[in-house]
Amino acid sequence: MSPQLTLQTPLELAPAEVPHYLEQLWSPEQQGSTGTGANTFCLLIWQPAWAEQQLIRSGRLPGPITGQQSAPLIAAGRQAVMDADLPLSTPPLDGSVVKAVADFGGQASAEDLRGQYIDPALSALMPRRLITLAPTIDAEQSLETLVAAYCPLPEEGGGTTACGDVVVLRGGHGALNEGLSILEPLLPSSMPAWVWWNGCMDEAPDLMQRLTSAPRRLIIDTAMGDPHQCLDLLRSRVENGQAVNDLNWLRLRSWRETLAMVFDPPQQRDALIHITRLDIDVEGHHPAQGLLLAAWIADRLGWTLVSSAATDDGTSALFKRSDDTEVRFQLMAVPTGQPNVHAGQMVGLRLIAEPENGQGVCVILCAESGGCMRLEGGGMANLELHEEVVPVQHDTPEMDVARLLGGGHDSTNPLLAAAAPLAARLLG
Amino acid sequence: MVATMTNPLRVGLRQERVIAPQCLVIFGASGDLTHRKLVPALFELFKQRRLPSEFALLGCARRPWSDEDFRGKMAEALSSTIKDDPQAWEQFVGKLFYEPVDLQQPEDVVRLSGRLEQIDQQCATRGNRTFYLSVSPKFYGSGCRSLADAGLLKDPKRSRVVIEKPFGRDYGSAQALNRVVQTCGQENQIFRIDHYLGKETVQNIMVLRFANTIFEPIWNRNYISSVQITAAETVGVEERAGYYESAGALRDMVQNHLTQMLAITAMEPPGRFDPEAIRNEKAKVLQSARLADELEPWNCCIRGQYGPGGSAESPLAGYRHEPGVDPNSTTETYVAMKLFIDNWRWQGVPFYVRTGKRLAKRMSEVVLTFREAPVHLFDAATGGPTANQLILRIQPDEGAEFRFEVKSPGSGMRSRPIDMEFSYDESFGEPSDEGYVRLLADAMLSDPTLFTRSDEVEAAWRLYTPLLELIEDSPWQLPVHPYESRTWGPAAADALLAKDGLLWRRP
Repeated sequence: MSPQLTLQTPLELAPAEVPHYLEQLWSPEQQGSTGTGANTFCLLIWQPAWAEQQLIRSGRLPGPITGQQSAPLIAAGRQAVMDADLPLSTPPLDGSVVKAVADFGGQASAEDLRGQYIDPALSALMPRRLITLAPTIDAEQSLETLVAAYCPLPEEGGGTTACGDVVVLRGGHGALNEGLSILEPLLPSSMPAWVWWNGCMDEAPDLMQRLTSAPRRLIIDTAMGDPHQCLDLLRSRVENGQAVNDLNWLRLRSWRETLAMVFDPPQQRDALIHITRLDIDVEGHHPAQGLLLAAWIADRLGWTLVSSAATDDGTSALFKRSDDTEVRFQLMAVPTGQPNVHAGQMVGLRLIAEPENGQGVCVILCAESGGCMRLEGGGMANLELHEEVVPVQHDTPEMDVARLLGGGHDSTNPLLAAAAPLAARLLG
Repeated sequence: MVATMTNPLRVGLRQERVIAPQCLVIFGASGDLTHRKLVPALFELFKQRRLPSEFALLGCARRPWSDEDFRGKMAEALSSTIKDDPQAWEQFVGKLFYEPVDLQQPEDVVRLSGRLEQIDQQCATRGNRTFYLSVSPKFYGSGCRSLADAGLLKDPKRSRVVIEKPFGRDYGSAQALNRVVQTCGQENQIFRIDHYLGKETVQNIMVLRFANTIFEPIWNRNYISSVQITAAETVGVEERAGYYESAGALRDMVQNHLTQMLAITAMEPPGRFDPEAIRNEKAKVLQSARLADELEPWNCCIRGQYGPGGSAESPLAGYRHEPGVDPNSTTETYVAMKLFIDNWRWQGVPFYVRTGKRLAKRMSEVVLTFREAPVHLFDAATGGPTANQLILRIQPDEGAEFRFEVKSPGSGMRSRPIDMEFSYDESFGEPSDEGYVRLLADAMLSDPTLFTRSDEVEAAWRLYTPLLELIEDSPWQLPVHPYESRTWGPAAADALLAKDGLLWRRP
């Protein structure tokens, strides 16, 4: 289903007028004409869409700017990778692509509809308020504030009169910072508020700090931005007891599930206490996802981290099992021909179990989208081999966010909470 | 033992739905079902951390017990389970309360109301209540009425009623009971329980059919020649003679459990996995089902009653010699029948259904027999080619097997059947929950998917109306054939299939 525009043309208001206008809109006297305000949750989205903005400005992508991860946007990003002579394994919306396209020049303009497109996966949850912060490339642009009421269409899971509203704050970095003062009254304490930081962790730390104070629940994507900053942010939120969820971790669900499935049959479980080696291959030089998976395995199997070190190709580490036996871990960045939109996605995993008396076992999980030649190569002739293919997830970020919001996960996933600090330590 | 340790990588992956703060009220708490099934199921949910911390169980019955009496009785009944995890029981037992209540006495219900408010305060259960009627079926209607009169069902989002089987004695009484309970609350507050629907293997029939593309295209009259549904018990009537004498196998097993298995096996694919979509399809298929011979039902139905059996060392009494049973009883302990489903998918495919007590083996299964290959090219090692069969084992040894022909090793080209097996135990290594664990959780979550809707119950009763009328009006036309205990039922049941050139599957 394609994203829906708001039914009402957004109204441009002075920032100071927005809280009062919305208060009036949902007042009991107005409810007959606008429906009932949904008593659900508020979602605040940091939506820079830098790649989309730059690609449109350079004339490589037609407008409007929507903030959605569309197929034409990804195709334009891939083309830009080639035009800019970037390594072919560069993700199409990566920061290096944004920089390269900015250097291409161009002054094409397009309508900016960020915040006015509502993905059906999100609108089906009937959010009471969607607030979009839409920074512009032009850092000096003044603040524009747009407001519109929104009722889900019946085929989107609506059919009731519970409605919501959208608020868009658009402008340069400085103007947005000033505009934040209107957010407090727009986020009533009676409803849970989520902040989806749909950008790099390091691009606006001051804004992020102001937006994500407790009790707001934060959704990030540790595939975006510097891996150290990503994992450190996760760790600090977990350690401070502040709710955080990670889309990059969510995308690991089929890997976790497939690996658990391998060890569901009772006759396979013995191997889990005899593991001596763990290898993980990821796409390109962004280890966050691979380290989160390794940390989850280590946590679940009760391993303790002895040492870790960065290598030319990734990370290596040494764990100790509860019986003091060493487990060697290596994460390696491997090039891929057609990289995923998200940096550092899992390519393959290999677990080797070598019991002192008995048949050794090698488990290889391989992403459906690529090969695992490195992991399949050599030295395993005497091991019992189990190979599984892990299906590729085709969910958009909006669908993943909707999954989080709809699943009632108002606190940090306990498995993530256990894995994140260890992943950060692995990265060093 | 390492092989039986829990899979550590599985922990936390299953996203369990969250039960809201809740008080579960069981009427008939001094009865058998409460300590045999309900409290063990709740304790299991507690151990799996699926109950909210704000949870209370209020047992209600006429006996003048105190909270401590009730807790003591439950501890005694569950002693073998508790000894594995005494700490968990210590935590759980504090959530158990008791109130002497006779639902027929308005003053008792008023007192119950007060006690519930007190529990809301004490356990933060926020007025969210599930009422479980584990009482004599004759009190279902009046019980609902008493709860409604006391205002306890007023909030459709925070109150619900679970009603045990049997829901009515026939089509008319089920309709009348539906009318009563529907005046007490909305349909989405009424949960008619059938514990067979709580079994993983019954739910797996839906997954097998609708999550795989290989089965659904052949799941019809073009490829399937017959379907057998069996629920066999080795036990006799035990202590249930009082109820069983007035019910018999037809009301006790066929109208509910076997009919639900039939519905799930034969239903059309729902548009989405949604309670109403699924229940619509189940109701539709039951409305299309009929006895193979409605005018002369004795041609398609066999009743039986177990006689003595066993060995000289451990003899087994016949049904008429069981305590509490009329020595001249004509209650059936065995039923076998042939049904048809008049729709595009199943027209002309016979569905054979059988259930009985004191049979040779305890097992429930659904067997789909496929049509034979149109031309037999090969000699069959077993004499004749064996039809392909898909066997869905509901219990025990839960799983499925698919029987097909392969080349028998050797220089010739002879075929022989082999079985491709799937076993829950071997694949998952963890026992599946009792049906009541799943169903109690679903009721408290207000999820009606695995509960029967009013039209389903009525359609199921209507299906067997010709038989019930015949048994009522001229029982001699549907005689009760005796069969020896621990055999596979009366010979007449074999003859029912022999007429069609078939045999019951002997597992």
